[in-house]
Amino acid sequence: MGICLFINPIKGAGDDLPDIGSHAPNTAFVDQYDLDKTDLSQFAALILPAHIDQRFVGTRSDQITTFLDQGGTLVFNGHVAWPMLPELKPFVPLERQSLENLMIYRVNHHPVFDGVDCNDLTFKRGVAGFYARGSNPPPDGAIPLHVLGKEQLVCDWLYERPKGGRILMHSGNDLWMYIGSQNSTSRIVPQLCAWAGGE
Amino acid sequence: MGKIAIIDTGTYYHHRVIHEDRFGHFFDQAIYIRDLCKTNLSAITTLIVPCRTDPAHLVAHRKLFADFLNDGKTVVAMGSTGPDKWLDDINWRFTPTNFWWWKEGGSLNLEVAEPEHSLFDYVKLADATWHHHGLLTPPAGATSLINANKAGSIFYDDRVTSPGRKIVTTLDPMYHHGNHFMPATSRFLDGFLPWLKSQ
Repeated sequence: MGICLFINPIKGAGDDLPDIGSHAPNTAFVDQYDLDKTDLSQFAALILPAHIDQRFVGTRSDQITTFLDQGGTLVFNGHVAWPMLPELKPFVPLERQSLENLMIYRVNHHPVFDGVDCNDLTFKRGVAGFYARGSNPPPDGAIPLHVLGKEQLVCDWLYERPKGGRILMHSGNDLWMYIGSQNSTSRIVPQLCAWAGGE
Repeated sequence: MGKIAIIDTGTYYHHRVIHEDRFGHFFDQAIYIRDLCKTNLSAITTLIVPCRTDPAHLVAHRKLFADFLNDGKTVVAMGSTGPDKWLDDINWRFTPTNFWWWKEGGSLNLEVAEPEHSLFDYVKLADATWHHHGLLTPPAGATSLINANKAGSIFYDDRVTSPGRKIVTTLDPMYHHGNHFMPATSRFLDGFLPWLKSQ
């Protein structure tokens, strides 16, 4: 299985990044501003956190595109705000953040979400909205995975690039916020690392 | 009138605050964090460090902040920025963050400590009430504006420990507004930023 490279997000004043390594064996970590000094060819996947400096990622566009062209997997968490890659378009929030609109629906199955109940994605302690509140619009040809509400706003998608490589998009907070959860969402991180590592 | 600058870490939540319509016009200058050391601050009178700016990237600028204060100017340190690591005379301590008080029938036990302060012409306590990240002990002579649980301050105004002014809070409204999450945080900024502009 290939190695998934997690980019360490800002550390804030607390412990923002949970211990992913104990939930998946094939992980490596690098600080965000060391990305330009990192040889990505040794990794199967590059996993970007919601807290990343997108202005900096934008300066690494060529490096990431080359990684993708060579068959790499990119996993993106968060809202797209700055230009980074041609496949990433600016975040579109829900027009109205009602419970109805915040419901998560699965429209295509994917190994990362195998066995994960959409109700567990929609609600955290009975409150909706933690999973996603809008969409990073998918490029033409992307496969929608999860949509929001009746508007069917696509919050998760998979794009197999014509030139090689693939992008898994999650238009919300880091998927590894579910580490240690007591419901079906605990399946996400091991399944994410297995899939992204090319199992 | 003074000029307000804000540090931009390149995250999407800072983008929404700094570069989008609702609040963008309050800032005379946005300073990308990696350009801070080469930015001329001579025309700036207030420098805001927004929520969740990584203290690891601020420590290197300790002298810049000290010099800015010594020039009689104002530094605003928002929540989850670890201000004790990059400003003098800050006493911050970790407390578990209570995200769920409103769901569990509890209270954050916040109270206005200085009702005559001009901040409260702009901000209602209800709009400063979501959660906070740790507690502050204001230095002698500084004015706490909001206390929590009678155990410490979550917002204070310090005009005594430097020739300038430090406004320090453990509230993180920019992070949550930037996430389209928690409407109180947007209402807080609706009052807080005009108040800051009025100073």
